[in-house]
Amino acid sequence: MRNRQYSVKVFETAVEDEMKFIEFFDTHYMLFKDHLILIKGEMSETIHKYLEEKPYKFLNNTLLPIGRSRKALEEELKIGEPEINADEHLALQEELKALKTESGVNQQIAEVEIDKVKNEIKELSKKLANNFMVLDTIIRSGRELKVEGDLLLLNRVNSGATIYTTGNLIITQVVEGALRCDGNFMMITVSPKANIIFNGVEVDNSLLENKLNRIELKDREIFITPVIKKEINWAS
Amino acid sequence: MGIVIAVISGKGGVGKTTATANVGLGIALNEKKCIVVDFDIGQRNLDMILGLENRVVYDLVQVMDGEAKIKQALIRSKVSENLHFLAASQTKDKSVLTSEKVKALIDELKDEYDYVLLDAPAGIESGFEHTIEFADKAIVVVNPEVSSIRDADRAIGILDAKSQKVKDGEEVDKFLVVNRINAEMVQSGEMLRSDDILDILNIKLLGKVPEDRGVIDASNQGKPVVLDNKSMAGQAYTRIAGRICGQDIVMKDIESGDSGVFKKLAGMFR
Repeated sequence: MRNRQYSVKVFETAVEDEMKFIEFFDTHYMLFKDHLILIKGEMSETIHKYLEEKPYKFLNNTLLPIGRSRKALEEELKIGEPEINADEHLALQEELKALKTESGVNQQIAEVEIDKVKNEIKELSKKLANNFMVLDTIIRSGRELKVEGDLLLLNRVNSGATIYTTGNLIITQVVEGALRCDGNFMMITVSPKANIIFNGVEVDNSLLENKLNRIELKDREIFITPVIKKEINWAS
Repeated sequence: MGIVIAVISGKGGVGKTTATANVGLGIALNEKKCIVVDFDIGQRNLDMILGLENRVVYDLVQVMDGEAKIKQALIRSKVSENLHFLAASQTKDKSVLTSEKVKALIDELKDEYDYVLLDAPAGIESGFEHTIEFADKAIVVVNPEVSSIRDADRAIGILDAKSQKVKDGEEVDKFLVVNRINAEMVQSGEMLRSDDILDILNIKLLGKVPEDRGVIDASNQGKPVVLDNKSMAGQAYTRIAGRICGQDIVMKDIESGDSGVFKKLAGMFR
């Protein structure tokens, strides 16, 4: 089974005035052509035809799962977190003490349990919060740098070093080592000696030409775009 | 309290031992007390280059194991009374070294001498790690070729990870010596330029040593080339030793065509 996950931009709207609706989508075609148009409520034959001809991708009255932000995820974790408050922890300890004064061993076990849960939660929230890393050290030969998340590196990657990232990767200086990036995009300078594997596909580094290049994955195809000074970007 | 300097390279055969001998003698000629220690246990070479091979009685391992006193094992150079030498064992191997023994020895030497030069073995295994463990500074010797630079890069990486000074939260200063530069080849683009090497390794430059026929002959005779005032390499090592002793010596450009071997050759035909 081969799977792929995507995030899709959705534009949610309702048709009130057909003429205005069509006018709006005519003028903003560039902006919304890569969006999924979600129409709430009634939709006439004309609108249906118009959207199909344009062409826009659209859905009518569909309930889409809306992704949650990292913050929302953290909030959720905090709710499930027991006795993070120092006072409450103390109160619990007191309670335990009162209950089991005769057996100190049990109390210790309980404390260990609490600490264990606390640590687990700390680790989890660390994973969520710290998955962006900025580094300004030279990555020397023989070093294997593994990053879970995104990495911004402001120094060289020397021959014989390897960097693995599960997220996006930006390197502002020359790369002579190997890169293994599984993120959505990479940005690197001209690096004729680098060995770059992006989402399992080897990137031909003769295609890197400008000072900074953006390598990204679109529809299972890898695109390499030299970054110019003024870039017109409609869709973001 | 003396300064402990490890001379490292990663790759073998780039001139690490020659550099140690010459820099050590150069320091001694600057009226500073200096000791050079051969840490290449099992493959000692430094004694030959210093011309002291027939004087070795006790070696480093015997001192560390307490079989001999340090005073018994030290050999004074024939050329300068400021230079002493401690030989490596030729019969044992690198596994005899332990951190405690190395630390005790280096601490003792540090009290006596202004400069303690440690000649590291090639490679990056235990012998190398013990050499760099208690070093305050490091001299990285490279040849202007990619394989030497990559190995040096790896050695620096290990130095930055495993030295005691780094573990204490300080930094080990690293200085680059580019050895065997051929001006002609640098000009024609066949050989890497020092600037490019510095870009890759990202450490300070201590000196550039040109390729010189005299070096091999000097090593064979046991008279380090630094003693030869006419030799280009000898002069380069004199400058390097001066810089280590705190003198402000301008970096000489030995890479452009109008100096070095090129000029010498041109002068011969004039």
